[in-house]
Amino acid sequence: MSGDARGWRMALVPDALINPTEQARTALPDVLGVLEASGYGVLQLPPKGGHGLLLAVIADQVAEYAHHGYAVVAVGVRGEPGEGLHWRRLAPLLRHRGVALPPRYLVCPEVDAVAEGQRFATFLAGYDLPAEEQRRWRV
Amino acid sequence: MGRRIDHGRKRGTEQKAPRKVALVANCLLNQNAKVCQGAHYPGLVSPVVEVLRKRGYVLQQLPCPELAFAGVRRWWAVYEQYDTPAYRTHCRRLAQAIAPLIEGYLRRGDEVILIGLDGSPSTGVRFTSSKPDWGGRPNRPEDDWEIQPRRGIWVEELEAELARRGLPPLPATGWALDMGRFDEAGARRDLEQFLDSRETTEGSRDGGKVAQ
Repeated sequence: MSGDARGWRMALVPDALINPTEQARTALPDVLGVLEASGYGVLQLPPKGGHGLLLAVIADQVAEYAHHGYAVVAVGVRGEPGEGLHWRRLAPLLRHRGVALPPRYLVCPEVDAVAEGQRFATFLAGYDLPAEEQRRWRV
Repeated sequence: MGRRIDHGRKRGTEQKAPRKVALVANCLLNQNAKVCQGAHYPGLVSPVVEVLRKRGYVLQQLPCPELAFAGVRRWWAVYEQYDTPAYRTHCRRLAQAIAPLIEGYLRRGDEVILIGLDGSPSTGVRFTSSKPDWGGRPNRPEDDWEIQPRRGIWVEELEAELARRGLPPLPATGWALDMGRFDEAGARRDLEQFLDSRETTEGSRDGGKVAQ
């Protein structure tokens, strides 16, 4: 795709990691900063609560990406209800749309934030679709 | 300039401090949503994120209407091509999905702004792209669309949904990504001026606590 800078990779990210509270910020790596440096886009998940229609809309988008050569991961946070991913409701929505569940990474607030940021960056760098799939779509 | 609707608070009810919330166009956090050849960054539009975070904004990503409607391999299009009953119905569904979150922000007293994507047929705020004769076999040789000063379809429908809920219009601007030649420094300057003007307005309004 000439003249286009897209990275073909993105992450489902809980609101709690995109907009951490002041208190949580000191315990967490800069998740948006790591995603940006790794060339990932973001699909923001809503905070805890209902949001059934919004989760369906997000699942529609993930399905469109997943079916056209984009790599999608999910980033949860340990200690949040459902790890911030709404997984109990999101997983069936994705399955219903024929999407294999994305690999998950759990950010751990209780460990050293710098080390956790590095571990997270390593995970992101190491994930992509198989080369054959990339060649099929990313022209 | 009322953007806070926390006038319904019960006396004595504990309230968290109001926040500044920026509703951002989907592709400002995910350039993979852009139409083919439209992505200027791998993922996040870093200057937008940096400017907003530096000023303490909470980020709220909006859904991308074009991606879910016409797909990731859609053709380029202008306002007139998306101005159909089916697309507007689709946008209204997305607006109904995100509006409860926006309403929640406003009801708790947060200051909410909207950062769209100027030049976009869907997410344009100050400008959209227009060419009434586009259609049929996609063989436009060069960038021959025109920029018109109006909202995109998605922003029109989102604002209509918020109005239906009795919510005030949001202060809004657009990151000028789809205006033909992209000038990052100019777009950044523009955004910063918009945010500066917000801070001046808020500061002059009785501490910016309640405006309605």
